[in-house]
Amino acid sequence: MNFRRFTALLACLGVGIIVVIVAFLAVYSWPAVRLNGWGFLFDNSWDLGQLYGNPITVHGQQILPGAHYGILFLIVGTLLSTLIALAIAVPVGVGAALFLAEGMPPFLRSWLSFFVELLAAVPSVVFGLWGYVVVIPFLGQRLFPFMAKWFGFIPFFGGSTGSGYGLLTAGFVLALMIVPLIAATLRDALVSQPAALREAAVALGASRFETMRTVLLPATRRVLIGSSILATGRALGETMAVLMVSGNALNYLPHNIYTPISTMASFIVSQLDSALQDPTGMAVRSLAEVALVLCMISIAVNGLARLLLYYEGRQRASVA
Amino acid sequence: MGNLTESNVITGVPGSERFVQDFEKGVLQSTLKISVSQLNFYYGPRQVLFDVSLNIADRKITALIGPSGCGKSTFLRTLNRLHETIHGTRMEGEVLLDGQNILELDVVRVRRRVGMVFQKSNPFPKSIFENVAYGLKINKMGGRGLIQEIVEKSLHRAALWEEVKDHIHKSAYSLSGGQQQRLCIARALAVDPEVLLLDEPCSALDPIATAKIEDLLMDLASTCTIVIVTHNMQQAARVADHTGFFLLGKLIEFNKTDIIFKNPARKETEDYITGRFG
Ligand SMILES: Nc1ncnc2c1ncn2[C@@H]1O[C@H](COP(=O)(O)OP(=O)(O)O)[C@@H](O)[C@H]1O
Ligand SMILES: [Mg+2]
Repeated sequence: MNFRRFTALLACLGVGIIVVIVAFLAVYSWPAVRLNGWGFLFDNSWDLGQLYGNPITVHGQQILPGAHYGILFLIVGTLLSTLIALAIAVPVGVGAALFLAEGMPPFLRSWLSFFVELLAAVPSVVFGLWGYVVVIPFLGQRLFPFMAKWFGFIPFFGGSTGSGYGLLTAGFVLALMIVPLIAATLRDALVSQPAALREAAVALGASRFETMRTVLLPATRRVLIGSSILATGRALGETMAVLMVSGNALNYLPHNIYTPISTMASFIVSQLDSALQDPTGMAVRSLAEVALVLCMISIAVNGLARLLLYYEGRQRASVA
Repeated sequence: MGNLTESNVITGVPGSERFVQDFEKGVLQSTLKISVSQLNFYYGPRQVLFDVSLNIADRKITALIGPSGCGKSTFLRTLNRLHETIHGTRMEGEVLLDGQNILELDVVRVRRRVGMVFQKSNPFPKSIFENVAYGLKINKMGGRGLIQEIVEKSLHRAALWEEVKDHIHKSAYSLSGGQQQRLCIARALAVDPEVLLLDEPCSALDPIATAKIEDLLMDLASTCTIVIVTHNMQQAARVADHTGFFLLGKLIEFNKTDIIFKNPARKETEDYITGRFG
């Protein structure tokens, strides 16, 4: 087998695996999909029903009495925590990348870059544990009350701040995990920009900062978008770290940025045990439906981002 | 701008009477734009320029020739302080622009007054228009209408307007190599520099593109002081009023171009221009 056919095979394998996984989820959760209907996405109550009651039949499916599956709070929690993570991580990641690529003497540069890459390799449970032990007490007792007091006039910044477990903390920890991803990728792209471009800008009177802003960042915009997509995927699917700091809210929507939440990925883990108690199996199938929805959201986000890149590229091409 | 008087006569071979006389006949009417004296330059511990003194006449073309690695580019960069972007460089000596030490001027202003075109054309990954407008925007010169006007004028001056006027919002990378280099010249001209430094601007171009740029430089010399580094001795002979010959970091000889090429005072110069080395 020659190299091309080998790589083609590998590529097909990748596509095949995704198809198989999604197909499995779809088939396995199908009874739940039929039972839950659209209410699954738009209802805000996840209730396993009476675990020791006799199963009843609804729409031809056996379920426990009182069982109801609606995950709006999970969807909201997942999207909001990811959004917050991106809102923090993109500017910080860009700043870090610029600093690593442009803002320091070369010998320090490679060392610090190495550490940033190392940071990207830290298992998420470590971030979670650190968040749990160190960050939460600080946030809950100091930063959040402070923020609510002084920035409470900003929508969703005021109100009760709780114990430190919640939306903002989850976003924070997620941001910490994805900053290295964005910073390392963008740094590489910045470093590989030709020195001639920098010189051209400097020779026209641009300062170092102006060169970054007006030449280097625009030239690496696609890389930034690409790495942000990857980071979004990682944040959407992150399980352990979020589980440890999000407060594991059940059935309610956040009313401010300090409210406890749950995300889809962490919910699957935290609920699997109780779901397995359900003799009808519908609870586990509904969890599979959660996984299916998460998959679809991830794929949709990726697709949207690709589209963005495509149109951006076309704009460039028409300029080109 | 001081006149070329006895005290700041253009440097040449020390003690060469013939040089001073010939030179003064040629350029006494001309004024001095840049005056470099006793320039030493170091990359880290390594010295690459040795005691270079050189005067550049206003609105003339000065060519610098010499084998590669002899410090021509380095010298050029000291004239608009571009060397300061390279880590670990050190410069001794004095560069005066209109009689003022450029180290005492604001660096952004120096670079605006002394523009630079590089060996390899280096347009930004932006449209043709945005490339030329870049310096104006960075230096906050002029509003929209004025920028439009200056961009067009600069493209005219760089003899590129006719070729690009219908698609100035296309990417600069859609242009040919020669056009890209003229775009870089237009970009440098947009901020209306008093001096234009060019570092082997034609080394990657074909003869036709080269000829276009040479014509352009000779036109520009009526409004702008030009310093060009070139590998190509015919080019120096064609375009330059004055020519300096560098060897191993030293300025060996500097004089009117036809004297350098027809009657050089130093043996090294003669060897180089007759192709015996370099
Ligand atoms: N960035 C740099 N760092 C260290 N040495 C350099 C650098 N640029 C040039 N040099 C050295 O300085 C000397 C002069 O180089 P340069 O000015 O580029 O010569 P030329 O333009 O005449 O070919 C060469 O020996 C070169 O190796
Ligand atoms: Mg050179």
